[in-house]
Amino acid sequence: MKKLILSLFVFVFGYQLYGQTYNTFEPSKTQFMLRGYGHTGFEYMDSNDEAESTFLGLTYAPIFLYKHSDRLMFEAELEFKLEGNELEIGLEYADVMYVLNKNITVRAGKFLLPFGTFMERLHPAWINRLPNAPLGYGHDGIAPSSGIGVELRGAFDLGGPRLNYSIYSTNGPRLNDGSEEPEEAGILQFENFEDNNLAKAYGGRIGILPFSDSSAELGFSAYSTSGTGEEDSQYEDVGAFLFALDFSYVKPISPLKGIVDIKAQYNNSNVDTATFIEVHEDGDAEEYSFDNQSNSFYAQLSYRPTMVESDFMKKLEFVGRYSDFNAPEGAEWEEASVQYAFGLNYWLSWRSVIKLSYQTTETEGGHGADGITNTDGLFIHWAIGF
Amino acid sequence: MNHKSRDMKSIHKITVTVASILVVLITIVACTSTKEVYTPVLEKEVADSDQEFKIEKSGAQLWGEVCNRCHIAPSPSDYNDTDWETISLHMRVRANLTEKESKKIEEFLKSAN
Repeated sequence: MKKLILSLFVFVFGYQLYGQTYNTFEPSKTQFMLRGYGHTGFEYMDSNDEAESTFLGLTYAPIFLYKHSDRLMFEAELEFKLEGNELEIGLEYADVMYVLNKNITVRAGKFLLPFGTFMERLHPAWINRLPNAPLGYGHDGIAPSSGIGVELRGAFDLGGPRLNYSIYSTNGPRLNDGSEEPEEAGILQFENFEDNNLAKAYGGRIGILPFSDSSAELGFSAYSTSGTGEEDSQYEDVGAFLFALDFSYVKPISPLKGIVDIKAQYNNSNVDTATFIEVHEDGDAEEYSFDNQSNSFYAQLSYRPTMVESDFMKKLEFVGRYSDFNAPEGAEWEEASVQYAFGLNYWLSWRSVIKLSYQTTETEGGHGADGITNTDGLFIHWAIGF
Repeated sequence: MNHKSRDMKSIHKITVTVASILVVLITIVACTSTKEVYTPVLEKEVADSDQEFKIEKSGAQLWGEVCNRCHIAPSPSDYNDTDWETISLHMRVRANLTEKESKKIEEFLKSAN
């Protein structure tokens, strides 16, 4: 028995030793890679003299990249988030992509929608210069973040300027008819894993980079569907048209001894007018409708003094952001909000940042609330990409 | 059906039509392009290209310009050559980069890590 164990031991460890000594570690044709990001922090919020503070559980977002060949790749991102004493797990995207030629790539699955640039390119915590998204994004936001469908995308070199494009078709949004959440009647829900009707959403984005140094980019996005309600319901033919304008300017400026980064995006959502039912406290039901138009806007300016002599100053970044959000008048979720955010970041490396931010938000209305709510928040976040 | 609903239907039809035309145009332009794949430009060729109208940008230049559009440009030493190939394909699609941009940046990152 001892001889058998000894033989097995020699075989197993001898094989490992041989492999480590003589393995040439030639890369295989197919590659698997785990990347992603995570962030944690502390938040203090003061809303109309009601204060609350909390340490935030780590949000962990692993990204799985499987490169099948030089043209074929699968990518997926999960998101694990501790929220409300529960672990939330989400599938941000999971799609397969194939490079048809140098100008066209086809993607299919659940992918981030190129509606503007914030949700597709800038929202990860280690990229976003502030701890949270501007108004108008995320839950109850008007900008779609992902969709299930098929997409063509690519870029053209115009001999200096560049043009990039994306065209897609997805399941499209689902109209909240208010039957389960009366206070959200008329909101478009974009997390539509199974389509609720035959109407698909069509959209795309065109971006142009007019200068050869890629410092500026202007983009126009559109997203349209002829039906958002359940099939055979009165909301089946309620259509929607959304568009976004985005702008980006990133350039090292020698007189300022640093890099200036400007980002802006305007979103507009226009949904067909529909009739909803409001049930009063006494049980009476009343029909109502409203002009279902929403919009949001943000503009952000950040500056990193990368050309100064001090190593400490080089790692600092100063950020300011304005954002607003306007939900339709007459809706249960009627709202007009304005937010100012200021931040000071310290970059530990190119993909790890500590963010200190102060934000003040004035909200008029919002989900049945009356009057004006002022909310001040102090955020300390630590984000890392890997 | 009210006026707004009719307008929305028209807008949807226009959007679908424009998207369809764009798909056809992009397919035609992309498929009739004579250059199938990007071929790397040697540094010497760039240096000797006095007769060329435009000097090609180096991978290092593009790394500084293109990556910084969204995030701080990555350190080449953080990943090995194989990883950079995977990341390069991922970023080419995610950030809608041209083939030339992504290939040149990949070549630079692999040479500098």
